[in-house]
Amino acid sequence: MASEVEETLKRIQTHKGVIGIIIVNSEGIPIKTTLDNSTTVQYAGLITQLADKARSTVRDIDPTNDLTFLRIRSKKHEIMVAPDKEYLLIVIQNPSG
Amino acid sequence: MADRRAELERKKQKLAMIREEKERRKREREAKESEDVPMRVTRPDKDLRTETEELLSSLGIPLGSEGSVTRSLNATPDTSLSPIPDQSLSSTQSGTGPVKSLRKQPKLSVVSVHQANIPPKESVTYNKQTQTASTTVDREAHPLDYYIIHWDEEWDDEFQVEEEGEGCSLPSKNLESPSIYPRHNTPHKVAGLPKVEMVRPASAAEGDTPMTPGHTEQQKEEKIKVDLSEEEKQQIMMSEEFHIFFGKASRIVERALYEDLDICVDYTGTGEEQEGDDKSGIRLLLNRCFTDDRWSKNRTITSFDWSAQFPELLVASYNNNEDVPHDPDGVCLIWNMKFKKTTPEHIFHCQSPVMAACFAKFHPNLILGGTYSGQIVLWDNRSNKRTPVQRSPLSASAHTHPVYCVQVVGTQNAHNLISISTDGKFCTWSLDMLSAPQDTMELTHQKQSRAVAVTSLSFPYGEFNNFVVGSEEGSVYTACRHGSKAGVMDMFEAHQGPVTGVDTHRAQGHIDFSHLFLTSSIDWTVKLWSLKDTKPLYSFEDNGDYVYDVSWSPIHPALFACVDGMGRLDVWNLTNDTELPTASLVVDGSPALNRVVWTPTGHQVVVGDDAGKIWIYDVGEQLASPKSNEWSVFMHTLQELQNNQVDQDLDVLTSLSSSIFSSPSTGIR
Repeated sequence: MASEVEETLKRIQTHKGVIGIIIVNSEGIPIKTTLDNSTTVQYAGLITQLADKARSTVRDIDPTNDLTFLRIRSKKHEIMVAPDKEYLLIVIQNPSG
Repeated sequence: MADRRAELERKKQKLAMIREEKERRKREREAKESEDVPMRVTRPDKDLRTETEELLSSLGIPLGSEGSVTRSLNATPDTSLSPIPDQSLSSTQSGTGPVKSLRKQPKLSVVSVHQANIPPKESVTYNKQTQTASTTVDREAHPLDYYIIHWDEEWDDEFQVEEEGEGCSLPSKNLESPSIYPRHNTPHKVAGLPKVEMVRPASAAEGDTPMTPGHTEQQKEEKIKVDLSEEEKQQIMMSEEFHIFFGKASRIVERALYEDLDICVDYTGTGEEQEGDDKSGIRLLLNRCFTDDRWSKNRTITSFDWSAQFPELLVASYNNNEDVPHDPDGVCLIWNMKFKKTTPEHIFHCQSPVMAACFAKFHPNLILGGTYSGQIVLWDNRSNKRTPVQRSPLSASAHTHPVYCVQVVGTQNAHNLISISTDGKFCTWSLDMLSAPQDTMELTHQKQSRAVAVTSLSFPYGEFNNFVVGSEEGSVYTACRHGSKAGVMDMFEAHQGPVTGVDTHRAQGHIDFSHLFLTSSIDWTVKLWSLKDTKPLYSFEDNGDYVYDVSWSPIHPALFACVDGMGRLDVWNLTNDTELPTASLVVDGSPALNRVVWTPTGHQVVVGDDAGKIWIYDVGEQLASPKSNEWSVFMHTLQELQNNQVDQDLDVLTSLSSSIFSSPSTGIR
């Protein structure tokens, strides 16, 4: 089972433009990452905060609603965040290749 | 350590001795200088001298010569008069002085001088003024901004103390220096103590949230080392719920990744040409190819089916891969046509090659497969497993021959799974229970006692009872499930080789053509039939190899596609031309094409080959979309065909009859 996870991670990682993947748990502790330590910790902390804020925003507007996907497009990168109750999957991509 | 201490003491003593000697010499010199002066002063001091001598003698120090003693004593009258605590010092000084000059070296005893060096206690002080380390990035003086905490080794102690403060926002300084990790040396090295800036008190009322993220995050960083070891991380990654999460999240992310629409594209700079209009003229254009290196490589595609609920989901079943015997023999992949990702949505496998697969029409999560071993397997895409959640038993009550046809027929409330194997066994199953079929039936033709070896199955549109099957002998049969005459009804002497595909007409229009069906066979032909007639309406003989499958277009009444073993994909438009396919192409690499289906929209054709690749071709608009009069036109075409057929038959008969009379007849087809 773990090998499937590895397989999928490798596939995503080798996709055109993907810079890195980070999986964090709900506390923001990185569980798996393809980036270096310092960058991982930085992203983990910041993105967890942002995802939490986004989720609370969505739920404040409508309590029955919930956050399913978060995508941050910047000039240089695109950060995709797939949240869950327990974990967070963060993928950083350079969309222009 | 003891040696060192002893050494140190010895050294100290030596130093002390040297010091004493120096002072002695100095005093001697001074005494010599002032020799004349105090000569007269010595008289009143004589009492003192005697006193001191008495003192000295009392102390056990032998007296030196009078002269030097007086001299030294005179030189240092104060010292001799100094209070008692200093007595020892002065006495030793004065004592050793004269002793040395007059007598031989006295016996010097080693005096251990204990030196205690107590460092001053470090006081931890907090400066509550604004402080910034000089080497940090210059910020404008915002005295009441936020905490800037630089932490070194002692940061955690300090940090606990600071809890009453307001939130710690991660300052930009730390962002610029990529490491906010405590152990790393920050470029702005702060020696030891953290420096804290004044906090704006008002915003402290905001509550925990400004504080906790950064606060706890830093604690977490500390925790990272403490709490999540490698093993713990591995454990988490092995856990079930992690896999569930990861499955969902990775699918979404992969779809998002593959979407390479650049929404930020700028059109003003570039002069993009319009897409050529001749696109529509192109009849068949390769859109994409679905293949998975791990699971679909080198496996023949045995069937396709579309999901009723999500028309973009396609299930493809695969045969085994001879090159890799350890991989599971049967694979079923679900592909998503809507998104650009090139990996399957779901991967399922089982132990026996899957010959036919279909979506359970009324259950969006279930996928059924009929295997080579005769088992019916059921996969559920809600479960995390890739293996079937249910399997039918390998028993005589079920199938014992390869199951080539599975289909779910019925309505929402009353539906069954139908499976037919090559021994003619027709089983009806309930989807809840695959342990035994609900009903079995032997498909045997009345005239022959042999069972029909069914290779393909098709239900006419809207029919749940009557169906058409193709067999290995090359005949096509109609049969029905229920009723008094359950079983095979009619037989069509169709082909001279096994029938590879049967497809009943599907495009719905104002004229009903559902009695029409097509058959393809190993004998290089495709034949058009009507249920009403045992004779074929038409035979398409353009192919030069085994025709492996044929499929009607779901929207166009006169359009169908067929594939053959040379990699050729033909799209026929019967209103256009019945002799030659209207569009034809050879698939890249000329693999043998095993299966063909149309997408539910009718604008694309999906072809499966024997190397595990799924090719999706766009059919040009003009070709794929029916015009409003298409049905009536097709009706005419059919009439013509029938007329031609009749004429042909007549010709055959006449020629037969003529030949009978004229010459021995040769075999006329």
